[in-house]
This record gives sequence, structure tokens and C-alpha cells, in this order.
Amino acid sequence: MPSQKDYSSLEDAALVKLAQKGDTLAFEELVFRHRDKIYARAYTMMHSEDAALDLSQEAWVKAWQRLAQFQGDSSFATWVTRITINVCLDQLRKNKRQRAESIEELNEESGGVDRQMPVVTVDPTERLERGELRQKIDTALGKLTEEHRTVLVLHEFQEMEYKDIAQTVGVSIGTVMSRLFYARRKMAALLADVRKTE
Amino acid sequence: MNDELQIKVQAFLDGELPEAEAREIGSLLARDADAAAMRAELKHTRAALVGFERRILVPETREFYFSKIQREIEREEASASAPARPQHSIFSFWRRALAVTGGVAALAVALLVVTNFGPRGAALEVALGSGEAFTYRNYESGATLVWLSYPAENGLAENQPAATLQ
Repeated sequence: MPSQKDYSSLEDAALVKLAQKGDTLAFEELVFRHRDKIYARAYTMMHSEDAALDLSQEAWVKAWQRLAQFQGDSSFATWVTRITINVCLDQLRKNKRQRAESIEELNEESGGVDRQMPVVTVDPTERLERGELRQKIDTALGKLTEEHRTVLVLHEFQEMEYKDIAQTVGVSIGTVMSRLFYARRKMAALLADVRKTE
Repeated sequence: MNDELQIKVQAFLDGELPEAEAREIGSLLARDADAAAMRAELKHTRAALVGFERRILVPETREFYFSKIQREIEREEASASAPARPQHSIFSFWRRALAVTGGVAALAVALLVVTNFGPRGAALEVALGSGEAFTYRNYESGATLVWLSYPAENGLAENQPAATLQ
């Protein structure tokens, strides 16, 4: 069995093979390599650091339990990210069940976005520095409904197609298109407000 | 521009429209300023997001973060391999409850019998004071009768010497 030092020099695929045989040190190295990305994705989905920490760890536990199912069709990071997204979606569904019915939910598809909202004609992000833009986007994402944020994250950050999002979230393609549209419009409005207040 | 058309403009931007519809929307965008403006807004928003996911690091050390994962894995593996909980526990509860109830009921019946129909000189003595055994003694005839609850909860029947029953 390789020493701790050797693990860091191994490729993901080799570590996965060792982990599939029960090598927890190999699995620990995989967690170490990808933990920030997994945590960041959980954060983007949940918009809560505490929830992201718990759910990212839950995702790693599930990844260990399902390692035998990993065939290498995608990269290991992509595979764990998908598990993380599913764990987050499960949590969002639980949250939704526990939540009292709200106005937002009554108007779920539009998420409160006015259908007649004027089109933002200029690029609301120009002249913003990268770090600043990242912060503004994060703030704006936090103002979306969970349904809108989920679809937007899956499309823009996870680069999933409409049909895959529909399957993952458990809604129709039409609903995905609608949610994505209103999520983008709301983001445009929120980012435009950022420009106005500067 | 109606909702359906707006959403088709978005699908065009995302490359999700079938070829025929894509051509249709393409020509609409060329001649309709509102549709073109909508496309520009959606494009800007999409461009703003790509590559700008918040960079956030796990706020724990490697060891601490993994130790929690490992503990949870071990906990789940232990619970998965643990034998099923014995099913007799509920029966034990009912057996104990019935034994005590039975003892109390027998005592009540004996008191009733002694009070109303018992011969003179008869007396009831609760020998163990726990409702698990009691004694009926007839001083005139010198007879003693002992009732024990069953099953014996404290091993009375097994542990007491036979002389006690005399």
C-alpha cells in the first residue's frame, strides 16, 4: 500500500481504484483534492455556508458508499458534483415541504418577476472588477428563489442541458425554460441595480 | 413579444431550439428590435455568470473535515451491519405488566373471599409484599396456602426453598 506521500502523486483514476478496494487514505486524498469545489457548489445551491458544509460532507459519505457504481464515464469530480447537487436538491425539497406556503410559491415560475419589466439594455457588469463582480453575482443569486437559483446554477455553472435539468429537478422542460428565463431576468435587474447604486 | 416568443429567444441563445425553429427565431431577431434587446439582456446575464461562481474554501482543516466524513461512514456501516433489535422486548413488557396485574387481581379476589365467605379464624397474609405472592392461612385447621404469580419476575419460585411452601 502506498505511503501517505505517494497518494498525492497518484491520478484521480488510480486513487478511485484504490478507494474502491476500501483504501480510506486514497479516498481522503480525493476528498482533499476536490473538497473546495464540492463545498463551493453546495454553497451556490444552498446559499448558506453551514448548509454547504453539512451537505458537502453528506455528499462525500454517499460518494464512498456508491464508489462501486463509479465506472469512469465522467471525471471523478463531475461524478461527485452530481451527487452533491442531488443531496442539495433533496435538502431543498425537504425545506420546501417544511416551509409555509408563501407568495413566492404561489407565483413559483415567475418568482415575482414582473412580466413587463423593461429590458436591461446595457451590460450591467461592465467596468466591474472580477472580484467585485463575483461578489455582486453571489449577492444577486441569494435574492433568487431556490427554484430559480437551482435551475440557473445547473445551467450556467454545471453546464447542463434543459432536458438533464428537467430530469434532475423532476420538472418538465417547459418549467425549466420558464424558470431559467425569469431567473436570468431577475439577475439582470439585480445587477443593473448594482450599477445604479454605484 | 409574448412569453412564448421570449422563451424561444432564450432557447435560441442556449442552442436548444430545433433547426427549423432556430431559423425562424434567427430571422425574427434580425428584424425585431425588442427581440434583439431581449436577446442582448439574456446574453449579458449569461456572460456575467459564466466563470463567476463564488470561490469559497472549506473553512476547516483537511484532517477535521475528513474526520467527520469518516466518522459518519463508520457510523452508517456499523448500523448497517448491526443485528436487528430483538423482537421480544415488547412481550417482556407485557409479561411483566400482566404478572403484576394478575397478582393484584388474585389478591383482590382472595380478600373478597376471606371477607365474605372465609371461615372464622382465617387470615390473609401478604408474604412478600410485592403482589407476586400471598399466603392464605387457616389457623383453625392449621392449613396454609401460598399463591405465586407466574411467571415469577424475581425468580421466587426457583430460588425460595421448598420449606417456604409448607
